[in-house]
Amino acid sequence: MTIIKLTTNQGVITLELDAEKAPNTVANFVSYVEDGFYEGIIFHRIIPNFMAQGGGFTNDFKQKDTKDQIENEADNGLKNDRGTIAMARTGDPHSATGQFFINLADNGFLNHTSKTQQGWGYAVFGKVTDGMDVVDKMAAIPTGSGGMFPTDVPQEEVIIEKAEVIK
Amino acid sequence: MSKHVHFISDLHLTQDRPQTTQRFVSYLESLDANVSDLYILGDLFDTWVGDDDPTPPNQLVKDKLKSLTDNGVNVHFLAGNRDFLIGQQFFDDTQVECLEDEHIIDLFGVKTLLMHGDLLCTDDTEYQQFRQLTHNPAWQQAALAKPLEERLALAQHYRQQSHLNKQGKSSEIMDVNETTVLNTLQKYNTARLIHGHTHRPNKHIHKVGEQEAERFVLAEWDKTGSILDWTEQGYNIIELS
Repeated sequence: MTIIKLTTNQGVITLELDAEKAPNTVANFVSYVEDGFYEGIIFHRIIPNFMAQGGGFTNDFKQKDTKDQIENEADNGLKNDRGTIAMARTGDPHSATGQFFINLADNGFLNHTSKTQQGWGYAVFGKVTDGMDVVDKMAAIPTGSGGMFPTDVPQEEVIIEKAEVIK
Repeated sequence: MSKHVHFISDLHLTQDRPQTTQRFVSYLESLDANVSDLYILGDLFDTWVGDDDPTPPNQLVKDKLKSLTDNGVNVHFLAGNRDFLIGQQFFDDTQVECLEDEHIIDLFGVKTLLMHGDLLCTDDTEYQQFRQLTHNPAWQQAALAKPLEERLALAQHYRQQSHLNKQGKSSEIMDVNETTVLNTLQKYNTARLIHGHTHRPNKHIHKVGEQEAERFVLAEWDKTGSILDWTEQGYNIIELS
C-alpha cells in the first residue's frame, strides 16, 4: 500500500493507494506527486453528494503540462464508493492524465460494466483513510462560476499546498 | 430528375478519429450535381475553440466544404453543443450558410423544422444551465479572447466534465423531453422536425392536437456514416461503411 498525504488549505487528506489492483494508475499518480505537480493545484469542481474533482488547474485556471494519457484500470473490481479516489478523463476511456476525483457518495453508475466507451467507467485506485471530514468541509463550500467555468467552482479557494508520498 | 437534399449531424470530427474524417471527406467528394443542399445539423466537430485553431482536421474539412460550395452545392450549418463557437471566419472561408438554432425550411412542400436537438433535452437541467451561460455573447467574447493554448486546454476540460456528471451520462445520450418536443412543433406549427444530438436514430410520430407530426433523429457517425436523404419521392437512409 502506498500512503499519500495531501495538505490543503482546508486540512490534511490521507490517501491509501491500491498498487496491487491499480498498478499503472497508482504509478502515474505517485509520479505526479513526486514531481510536485499537484502543489498549487486547486479542486476546481465540487458537486455535493457526487464528487470533488481536482488535479487539473492552478488557482488562476492555468493548466500544467501533463504526462501521457494512461490505460483505464476500471475493470479492477474497485468500486466508486464514498471516500474512494478515481481518475477523471474525457469521453475516451483511456484518457486520464493528472485529474482525479474523490467520490462523495456511492456512485455505482461510474463503475466498470463493459469494455465499451459507455461501459468502461472510472478507475478507482485508492481511498481516503483520514480527513474525509476535510473533504466534506470542501463540499460544503458554496459553488459558482470561476475562471471560465460557469458552475461548480468553489467560491472559497480549495488548494493543494503540498502532496507527499509517506510510504 | 428530382434533386436530393441531405441531412447529417454528430460526426464529432477530431484528430483522434481519422477514419471518420476520411469517411466524411470521401462522402463530400462523392456529391455531385444531383444533390442541391447539404444540411449539417451540429456537432460536425467534436470541439471548436475558435476559427484560428489549426488542429487537424479543421483546415482539411474547411477546404473540402469550400470545394463543395464552389461546385454549387448549398451547404448549411446549424451549430451543435460541441461546435457552437464556429464563427464568421469559418463561414467566410467555406461559403457555408450559418443557420439559427431553430430553422424552418420548405422540404419538397412540407414545412420542416431543423434543430441540433440539445434544446429539446430539457430534463438535463445541468446542461441547459451550461448552455445558457456559454451562449451568452459576453462569455463567448471572453472565451475567444483567451490564448489558443488555453482554449484548447479548457475544451479538453469541458469534454471531461460533460462525461463525468451526476446523471452518469454525457449530455448527448440524454433523450429529448416529450413535452418540449410537442411545444416546439406547436410553436412553429410544423408537421416535421429533423434533429440530431441524442445519438438515437429513429423516426417518431407525435400527435400535436389533431395533427400528426414526424420527428427524424439523425444518427451519429461512429463505425459508419449515416445520411438522411430526401427527394420529392420521400426519404431514404444512406449508410456509409
